[in-house]
Amino acid sequence: MNRLSRVLTLAGNTVREAVRNKVLYTLVFFAVALIGTGVLLSTLSYVEEERILQDVGLAAIRLFGVAIAIFVGVGLIHREVDRRTIYTILSKPVSRAEFLLGKYLGLVATLWLQLAIMALAFVAVSLLAGAPLGAGHAAAIGLIAVELALMVAIATLFSAFTTPMLASLFTTGIFLVGALSRDLRDLGLHSSSHGVRQVLMALYHVLPDLESFNLTIQAVHGLPIQPYEVWLPALYAAAYAGVVLLLAVVIFERRDFR
Amino acid sequence: MSHDAQEVVRIEGLVKDFRPGFGLRPRRVLHGIGFGVRQGEIFGFVGPNGAGKTTTLKILMGLIHPTAGVARILGHDVRESEFRRHVGFLPENPWFYDFLTGREFLRFYARLCDVSSDAREARIDALLAQVGLSAAGEARLRTYSKGMLQRIGIAQALVHDPSVVFLDEPMSGLDPIGRKEIRDLILRLRQEGKTVFMNTHILSDVELLCDRVAIIVKGEIRYEGSTDDFLAGGERETELVLAQVPPALATLLEQRLGARLRGLGDRIEARVAEKHVSEALREALAAGAEVVSVVPHRVSLESIFLSAVEAGNR
Repeated sequence: MNRLSRVLTLAGNTVREAVRNKVLYTLVFFAVALIGTGVLLSTLSYVEEERILQDVGLAAIRLFGVAIAIFVGVGLIHREVDRRTIYTILSKPVSRAEFLLGKYLGLVATLWLQLAIMALAFVAVSLLAGAPLGAGHAAAIGLIAVELALMVAIATLFSAFTTPMLASLFTTGIFLVGALSRDLRDLGLHSSSHGVRQVLMALYHVLPDLESFNLTIQAVHGLPIQPYEVWLPALYAAAYAGVVLLLAVVIFERRDFR
Repeated sequence: MSHDAQEVVRIEGLVKDFRPGFGLRPRRVLHGIGFGVRQGEIFGFVGPNGAGKTTTLKILMGLIHPTAGVARILGHDVRESEFRRHVGFLPENPWFYDFLTGREFLRFYARLCDVSSDAREARIDALLAQVGLSAAGEARLRTYSKGMLQRIGIAQALVHDPSVVFLDEPMSGLDPIGRKEIRDLILRLRQEGKTVFMNTHILSDVELLCDRVAIIVKGEIRYEGSTDDFLAGGERETELVLAQVPPALATLLEQRLGARLRGLGDRIEARVAEKHVSEALREALAAGAEVVSVVPHRVSLESIFLSAVEAGNR
């Protein structure tokens, strides 16, 4: 119970820091503004105005969510070490694993809070434009939340051992390749070279399959979404994030804070 | 508790190597040091910059892993974390979450140390009063001066009522009144039965506060023992001010008794080792000189400390 209480205390403090940081408000403001511009973009088309509006809205939520996850996540641990705030925390009965998990959960909670603001803006814009809203939209936004939690875990891993600059490069790289990992798999399956196939399939299995969290098309076009299309990616993300965080803890445990 | 009741901290054969970068040879900063801190004492860990004081303290706080050797606090290996509910720590030049108010800041650390919610607020009130920050408890830390940050830092080190407190340069950034207050606070901690480990370079504080000291130079312990014994280890001197000194007396004092002479107008000041004072006075009176003053000097910790450092550099 004590361990959980300490992790939650650290997470709560991370949320409080983000809430009092004005830079994040600016990012959320831009995201909401971009969701709003969907209205403008949809007027450029004579057909499927509502779909374009929601397509742009969900894409804005996803991209700004990932941008904030990387922007804040890569400095999550480095900032604590650089400002030496970690010294007094680890001198208390707080293990390094608890510290890392507390920071991670705090950032995930912060991102979900911001995601909720962006989702509200999306709902408001959809209602104003008379676009349909349903369970598909909720599922799509829910999986964006899951994807963000996974991206924060990856950013935390890099933040545990390298500088924010390198960590943001690595995390952005993994996001971009992860979004294309199914293409890597298809390329591997159709490759005539055994070596190339092995390498591409290995990359597909190691890198996160981020496309599995993207239900935008189904939501916007009102296509049916099966329950497994939600819980399977959620389970996959939980397992992937768990392994990544475990690796982060192993690396973090070995570090010297000079 | 499994530890020896007399010893709160025990370090044995502690070695630390730092690797400057990939492929580069490691640099050894601690060469198998060892010392112990007894329960209820104020222990001064003293050394010049780069001697290994902060590295040792960081190993004790679990921030750095030792390359070899043993470091224990209250009988526990410093790699453990649960026993730290009995340990308080103030780092050098502390930097805290400046978006928190003083009260929120102490509440955060109290929660990390599992201080019960019933006792928490009363403890925070008492600590804010103790470090003179009652009026600033609702202000954010970013508005605090350096001295106020040092004092709130000491409050966070004590928020869970630890039995052993580690302070890294606790007087840093404080004005004379602030230093006096912190000195009094440290003495009060000893009266309460707490053990204080103080990393400092201000030798007057060591003389005033510490029961025992360890001197570290270039990653090696040069001395460990009581401050009084350490001070007694140096040779005491007496300052004689003489008037109407004939040249032959000056020569005798300097060459036979090893005195250091300095002209003061028509007088001279002679610094004589304690064992030669009687003979020097006899010779001065016999030569017809006038004895103006006789002032015994205790050798300062600083001069002994500098001797230890110079010995380490040779």
